[in-house]
Amino acid sequence: MTSRCEATTRTMPGAAVIELSGEVDGTAADVLTAAYQDAVSGTDLGVVVLDFASVVYINSTGIALIVSILARARAERRKVVASGLSAHYREIFDITRLSDFIELFPDLDHAVSQLTGPAA
Amino acid sequence: MTSIAQPAPGRPRRLDAFAVASEPGNERLAITRVAAILSSAGLSAGRLERLKTAVAEATMNAIEHGNGNHAEIPVDVEVIARGDEITVAISDQGGGPEAEPEADAEQPDLAKKLDGLQSPRGWGLFLIRNMVDAMEVTTDGQRHTVWLTMRTTAPEGAEHDEQV
Repeated sequence: MTSRCEATTRTMPGAAVIELSGEVDGTAADVLTAAYQDAVSGTDLGVVVLDFASVVYINSTGIALIVSILARARAERRKVVASGLSAHYREIFDITRLSDFIELFPDLDHAVSQLTGPAA
Repeated sequence: MTSIAQPAPGRPRRLDAFAVASEPGNERLAITRVAAILSSAGLSAGRLERLKTAVAEATMNAIEHGNGNHAEIPVDVEVIARGDEITVAISDQGGGPEAEPEADAEQPDLAKKLDGLQSPRGWGLFLIRNMVDAMEVTTDGQRHTVWLTMRTTAPEGAEHDEQV
């Protein structure tokens, strides 16, 4: 009944995208850390998009992992944005104040179009 | 002379009682079962999601801090309905004199966490308090119980209530 966290990374103009699925809990630590490293290594990308559209569960340990990723990104002068959160998890991002530091988009398309701007 | 009686709060009804082994991840078993028994209890989808998060966090605390991840020590979960209130009681065996009172837990501060002044962890109790209408803690010297209460009718000013 549980589904471990999985991550797929890709790069877009100006942004690294990490698409997460499954459960973001304590077991996701290695996956999340490796995904971030993979997404930004060798790049000077200034934005990291965390897409939660396929995430079914986030607990307090998962919140701590997101805090750690955010702290690392800020130290590297990268902006973190998030997409695809359900209303419940958007509320949790609000009450933890994560949404003060991570801009939220309804879905990945909105995030990408906002970040890359209109086509020339 | 006439008088209007207040509605009786009603007798408590136990909707379910079960136990999970104290193994990491078993909070998912608890929330799946609680969600199933409460699927038609009158909670909105949004309030049920909140209660599920609180149950998950309280069960995680019971597994890890109350029972020390000793699988053979169960975490007991009881679901009770009374009037327009649903209460989930989560009990572990960590209620001894060495138990740390919940009130002593440090309030998480994200800015401090990002500056390395607080551990990134420490969100569990904060989430519980913010998810439910009421939280109480009782101990009897051995047994430690967290009581999570949610009304089926949303309090005035509740935000995000119908969202999921």
